[in-house]
This record gives sequence, C-alpha cells and structure tokens, in this order.
Amino acid sequence: MSDYIDLDSLWKVLVIGLVAGAGLVSIFAAGLASLGASRGEDGTASSNPIGTVIAGLCFLIVAAGALLGIYVMLDK
Amino acid sequence: MDASTVLLALVVVTALTFDFTNGFHDTANAMATSIATGALSPKVAVTLSAILNFLGAFLSLKVAATIASGIVDSGAITLPVVFAGLVGGLAWNLLTWYYGLPSSSSHALIGGVVGATFLAAGADAVKGSAIVAKVLIPAVLAPLCAIAVATVGTYLAYRITARTPDSVRKTGFRIGQIGSASLVSLAHGTNDAQKTMGVITLALVVNKTISPHAGTPTWVIAACAVTIAAGTYIGGWRVIRTLGKGLTEIESPQGFAAEGSSGAIILAASHFGFPLSTTHVCSGSIIGAGLGKKLAQVRWSLAGRMGVAWLLTLPAAALVGGIAFKASDLIGGTLGVAIVFVIGGILAAALFMAARRAPVNHENVNHEWTGKLVPEKVAP
Repeated sequence: MSDYIDLDSLWKVLVIGLVAGAGLVSIFAAGLASLGASRGEDGTASSNPIGTVIAGLCFLIVAAGALLGIYVMLDK
Repeated sequence: MDASTVLLALVVVTALTFDFTNGFHDTANAMATSIATGALSPKVAVTLSAILNFLGAFLSLKVAATIASGIVDSGAITLPVVFAGLVGGLAWNLLTWYYGLPSSSSHALIGGVVGATFLAAGADAVKGSAIVAKVLIPAVLAPLCAIAVATVGTYLAYRITARTPDSVRKTGFRIGQIGSASLVSLAHGTNDAQKTMGVITLALVVNKTISPHAGTPTWVIAACAVTIAAGTYIGGWRVIRTLGKGLTEIESPQGFAAEGSSGAIILAASHFGFPLSTTHVCSGSIIGAGLGKKLAQVRWSLAGRMGVAWLLTLPAAALVGGIAFKASDLIGGTLGVAIVFVIGGILAAALFMAARRAPVNHENVNHEWTGKLVPEKVAP
C-alpha cells in the first residue's frame, strides 16, 4: 500500500496544514478577540491598550506566516 | 508556412486555450468564499485574482518541459499526442464548467495525454501504477486532508471569537479572507501557468524549434501569464456559485478558515512534492468550513456529485483524448489535426451558446441557492 501512498510526505502535509492552516487561523482569531475585548461592547472607545498590543502581535505572526508561505512558494 | 509550422501553431493555440479554461475554472478556488461573504465584490475579486495569477506566472522560476511525466513514456510524446491530450483536457474542463463542477485541470490534462498515448504507442507506454499513486489516490486524500484542517480551523475561529463584538469579527475576518484568497491566487499562478508553459516548451522541443536544454522562451511565459490571467478575469461564475453558495452557506470566519487551510496545505504539498490538486484541496476546505461551524449544513449530494466528477476526470478526459488522437490519425497528418481542431472549436462554441441561454454571472452569482446552479430569474 505504501508503494501507492507516500505516507512520509502525507503526514508532513497534514501536520503542517494543521499548524500553519488551522494554527494561523486561530492566532488571527485570537487577535480579533483581543482587539474586540480592548473595545467596549459597542465597538468604540479603546479602554485597554494591552489588548490592542496583543492583537498587533497576533497579526504580525500571521503576516510572518504568510510571508513564509510566499517564500516557500517561490523557492522551488 | 509549411505543414509542421501549422501543426505547431495549432498545438500552441490549443495549449493557450487550455490555459484560459484553467484560469476560469479555478477562479473559484481562491475567490468563491470571498465573493460569497461579500468580502470582495465579484468584479473586484476576479480582477485581484487575475492580477495575482499574472504575477505568479512570472514569478515561477522553474518550468519543466514535461507533460504527465512519470505517467506516460516520454518517448511516446509527439505533437499529435500533445494536441489530442490537450483536447481531452479541454473537453472535460468545459463540460464540468457547464455543470458548475470544480474539477482538476491537471488531472484532465493528464487524462487526455494518457488516452492519446494509449492509442498512439500502446498500453506499455502508460504506467498504470503511477496513475493510481499520482492521480487517483491523491484525488481521495486531498479533500480529506483539507476537510480535516478546515474543520479544526473553522471550529477554533468561532470558538475563539465567540464573545467578540460582531462588527470587529465580521470586518476582521473579511480582511483576513482577502489576504488568504490572494495567497491562494498567487500560488495558483505559480503552479498552473507553469504547466502550460511546460507543454508549449515541450512542443517546441519535439518540433526541434528549440533545443532540449534551452530555457522557456520569454514569449511563452508572457503568453501563458496573460492567458491564465484573462481566463481568471472572465471568471468561471458557474463554478464560483457552486463552491461559494452551493456546498454550504459561508460566513466570513468560515471563508477565512477555508482559504487559510487551503493555502497551507497547497504550499506544504508542493514543498514536499505530494501531488495534491488545488481544486480538490479548496473544495475540501469549504466542506470543512461547513462542518466546523455548529449547525451549519453541508449539501452532501452536491459534494458527492463533485467526488464522482473527480474520479471520472481521468477516464473521461482519456476517452476524449484517445478519440481525438484516433480521429486525427485516421485522417492523417496536419490536416487531421486541423480538422479535429475545427470540430472541437465548433463543439466548444455550442457549449458556450448553451451556457449563455441560462447564464450565471457576476450579477446573479450570489443569489439564494435553491438546489439549482442557475438561479431563477428575479422579476424586475
């Protein structure tokens, strides 16, 4: 069966898919949650700067992940 | 202009036509979710995707002059075989587009070439085990992989932002969607435009127009980039509607999770050399996005039809590729290829006319899904 399925690559694709795909999606979501929490329920007044900073960090990580993706894409 | 130049010209034109259908068939992969959630207006979405495909085509550095490499004996490849293979791939692309079914353009091309090679050089020139390992099994694994990742991603995206104000959540994920869809578009340009460049380069080598060690001529790169971008811009609205509205109702967190998962899997697969089709990954991710959200409904009958189409892709394209080769071979020479070219063109035009009578376009692509691909006309 393993003649037909390259199991070695397959599990790598699945793990990286989970870490980079679901993982970065979650970090982005955490950024939004943090941004949302730093604002009032009505989505205005920024009362909590720490939340904004954490959100910024999350978005930076996601952007770095996207850049890494582009690097991998072009480095073939 | 002698016969061999005419033959080469016919192959190049057919290859570029294939590239064009490759573009409009796959606009949906990157943009269906963004269009469905309103993150981008339909026109802006296809324009952005076209630009990124164009850039991607120029950024891909290595073009291999191969077609279905490892699957058919490369010694069996002649210009009529390349032509018939392209016709088989084109026929399947157009038919699946008409029915709004996403399907892999590379599998269609491989199928067409397999069918043509089979009749041109016999069964020995086709490697059956390679077909199973490189085409059939990945067609099953790609969507499963994508469903798993996107389900987890969607579930977490909703879970983490459960108490986030709706305004922040909606806008935030929409921006994320634009980014992730752009990444998938760029990846598509680097992968798929390259395939047609490889086919045309191979045709030039076979015809001894260029030496086997020469790089891809610049005009080939430019022509393929422009063609795939034009195809993307035209937008396969029928396929976009199936993926964006048909499979499941998509909200922006789901759209972002789906495209993020697709992007990660496509890049990981291409990095590790695992032959997953972009189309299969993106469709699987959208199903996963439906599964990951509580109470969201996935229309499994439609997903099942897509699955059947994916398994039929190779044999159906092979059949058409085989017939196209046999027909041109029986008539003989360049004339045979030219006649098949004209017949193919007439059939394609007929299909376009049929599609125009019940169009799906940028205006009705987002209409409520009522089980039908083409929305009912809304009374003015």
